Amino acid sequence: MIALLLRLYPARWRERYGDEFAAVLAERPIGPFDVADVLLGALDAHLHLRGLGAASQHGKGFVMSLRLGGYAAIVGSLLFLTGFLANAFDGSDDAWPTSGIILAGMLSLLIAMAGLSAYQARRHSALVWAAFLIPALGAVVASVATVLIGLFPDGDWAAPLSLWGLAMLGLVTLMAGSGLFAFASWRTGMLSRSGTALLGITGLLFIPGIIGALGTWPWEPFVSISLLATLFTFAAGWLLTGIAAVRADRPAYAPAGGAA
Amino acid sequence: METRIPELGRFAEPALLILVSLSDGPKHGYAIMTDVEAGTGRPMGPGTLYAALARLEERGLIEALPRVDRRRPYRLTALGSTVLAEQLRDLAEFAQLGLRRLGRSPG
Repeated sequence: MIALLLRLYPARWRERYGDEFAAVLAERPIGPFDVADVLLGALDAHLHLRGLGAASQHGKGFVMSLRLGGYAAIVGSLLFLTGFLANAFDGSDDAWPTSGIILAGMLSLLIAMAGLSAYQARRHSALVWAAFLIPALGAVVASVATVLIGLFPDGDWAAPLSLWGLAMLGLVTLMAGSGLFAFASWRTGMLSRSGTALLGITGLLFIPGIIGALGTWPWEPFVSISLLATLFTFAAGWLLTGIAAVRADRPAYAPAGGAA
Repeated sequence: METRIPELGRFAEPALLILVSLSDGPKHGYAIMTDVEAGTGRPMGPGTLYAALARLEERGLIEALPRVDRRRPYRLTALGSTVLAEQLRDLAEFAQLGLRRLGRSPG
């Protein structure tokens, strides 16, 4: 009887579920309700298998986005912070090695933003992608300018803004724009609350830093403290967001004693 | 496009019951059936169970674990957990709305 019922299903379905389905049918006597249910199930399997591929890839795509975005956020935040700290303590004239680390960090964060936005765009899609655009634009501008500085250290063809100025503008847009990313993430509720809160704080901390850097803040040490705090909260925000994303990619609970 | 249980058509209710059943740990097909029956008082047929399982797996809401004998356990993914929580919140809000309209306080 079980073999007969199984034969009603498509071969492709039987390859995947046949054994375990037969095991379920063997668990108890098969009544008329079960037979009717299996007949409907077999009909559904024939109809449903026609559209199988697209839905399967769709579900896997979200999981892949979360995983990729999480790892990229962890790597990016660590590289970004390392690059800046190394730059601050580097006494040599050659800024390229530390700039290269910062560049790698920015590109990783760009991947992180794209991956995590793709994951959480299932809710508030327009808001998520709008919030992605500004920091992503900043990362691209800063990255391109950093590469140009490395290739043409004496070049000055981005007038009226120097290449350094362009890199800084991109960097500011990336860091302050992460506050928008944080706002969108807070609305979706699909990423780490603590990580997105830190990124939101980054956007706010940047304001006194920028005002001070423009020379209008009366107390000089405050500017340095503000910029340093901005750097650390930015890196910590992305790090926490990345770690939470990678953890969320695991099963939703700790296995306790195996399957029932 | 958002992955939502209502997109599963006539398998939306069985899919929700399966997700709730898996929310406290991995289970194989027969264990899910008996758990759902115990929880709702209504039987879930094997054909319905596997039609819903296949859809949930395709959408990444559950995943299959290595087979134990002929049985294959399934577990909730992180995405499945998020979708289930959203769905349960929506249902809770809807239930509260219904109770308010009936003039009965929730809970």
